[in-house]
Amino acid sequence: MIKLIKCEFMKTRRRYVFLTALTVTAAMLAWIYPRHQSADLIRLGWMANLYELPLINSIFMPLLSIIVSSRLCDIEHKGVMLKQLAVTKKRSQIYDAKLIYGLIIMIFCLILSWGMTITFGYIAGFEGEVPIRLYLLYFLFTATPTIAVYILQHTLSLCFKNQGVTFFSGTIGTFLGALSLFFPQLPWLRRILVWGYYGALSFVGLFGWTKENRYKQAHFEVMGIDRNSFIILLFICIAMYIIGREIFKRKEL
Amino acid sequence: MNEIVKTAGLTKLYKGVAAVSDLNMSVRKGRIYGFLGPNGAGKTTTLKMLLSLIRPTNGEIEIMGRRMEAKSRIEILRNIGSLIESPSFYGHLTGAENLRILQTLLDVPKMNIDKVLKIVRLDNQRSKKASAYSLGMKQRLGLAGALLAFPKLLILDEPTNGLDPAGIQEMRELIKSLPTQFGMTVIVSSHLLSEIDQMAEDIGIIAKGKMMYQGKLEDLHNIDRNKSLEEIFLDLTGREQSL
Repeated sequence: MIKLIKCEFMKTRRRYVFLTALTVTAAMLAWIYPRHQSADLIRLGWMANLYELPLINSIFMPLLSIIVSSRLCDIEHKGVMLKQLAVTKKRSQIYDAKLIYGLIIMIFCLILSWGMTITFGYIAGFEGEVPIRLYLLYFLFTATPTIAVYILQHTLSLCFKNQGVTFFSGTIGTFLGALSLFFPQLPWLRRILVWGYYGALSFVGLFGWTKENRYKQAHFEVMGIDRNSFIILLFICIAMYIIGREIFKRKEL
Repeated sequence: MNEIVKTAGLTKLYKGVAAVSDLNMSVRKGRIYGFLGPNGAGKTTTLKMLLSLIRPTNGEIEIMGRRMEAKSRIEILRNIGSLIESPSFYGHLTGAENLRILQTLLDVPKMNIDKVLKIVRLDNQRSKKASAYSLGMKQRLGLAGALLAFPKLLILDEPTNGLDPAGIQEMRELIKSLPTQFGMTVIVSSHLLSEIDQMAEDIGIIAKGKMMYQGKLEDLHNIDRNKSLEEIFLDLTGREQSL
């Protein structure tokens, strides 16, 4: 498997996959940071981040998944390489190696944005200490939906020659996932869409915000953690991996 | 064991329509087997089944005395080099980098890259991106990939497709040299009778998914001495396609 992953790395030479992923991550960070300029948001900064980031992640991380998976799999379709690979290695190994390499890129970007979020908090002078336990939980609850979304995108990118299918389904899913966050009264909506779990697993609530005073008398609170959603998501991850791998194994090349 | 490839009742149905029907193929060791048939006759489908790229609806495949099954597949394929339909390559990588990936996957010595590049006469173009190769060079790169592990069996699907006359001749000479030089058995498919006539020792003629003739090429010439090889071929394939 190490050899296969090494091959994945060799294949992406001159494809600038890491650079593309970093650019998307940088765009995400550039969108977040200018928002934290007011004194109130600096006061509430650490918790405000945890409240706002799931929505931003629900848009950027699936988009990043589409881009990374598509760039990694497209080279196989363009070069008619799947046939060549399938006569040298087991298809399950091909599926796994590409998935692992893609996830390495995704998790790297996630760690980078997570680290940058905390670094920015210190630079901006957010009040108090960073609630590290909550930030670790936030990382876990961002990484898990990202893995689920990536497995789905990976399977689509690998099975469909036309990457338009991947882009279209991924974009629609991202839109619906982000939209589901605006309907907190319908929690099931977030659970039926894999893209909705960024919201389903968010655990910080905003109280006291008004149109007139905005964040002046507002405060954030840690809500209950939705363990059920997390367990469901883990099952979704496993199911999508097994199904995706099986579809690829059965695909006629 | 004289037969390196043997199929029994090999069948592939697509939505109930037979692309390959009850095919019994027999390829002798150390020979060049020409697999001839009009376009759409089922040549590529058969070769893909031999390589497990598609699953047969029915029938059995035996390669090198071993039955092709999910368990034994990769082990058998380790001894087979192939070039199916169009050559496979990563356009953004150089010829040598493409082979380096295959060499890593096949777990063969690194020096094989230089050897095969020399065999297909691409050693001077090794640092050029594959996307900048001409079609002939791409075909040769594909062949280099197929030869990389110096397999016992080489399966080439229309390897001269799209090549100019000089390229066709070069490829033909290269293929002809493989059994004597490296002891390989070659299965080469084509829809051009002249192509197979100049290359193969044994021949299998397929039409509408069925094997119409199988045997030595010289025996095909002897079927009817009053008829040309083209006429014999057209008789066998039902005169449905031009050559």
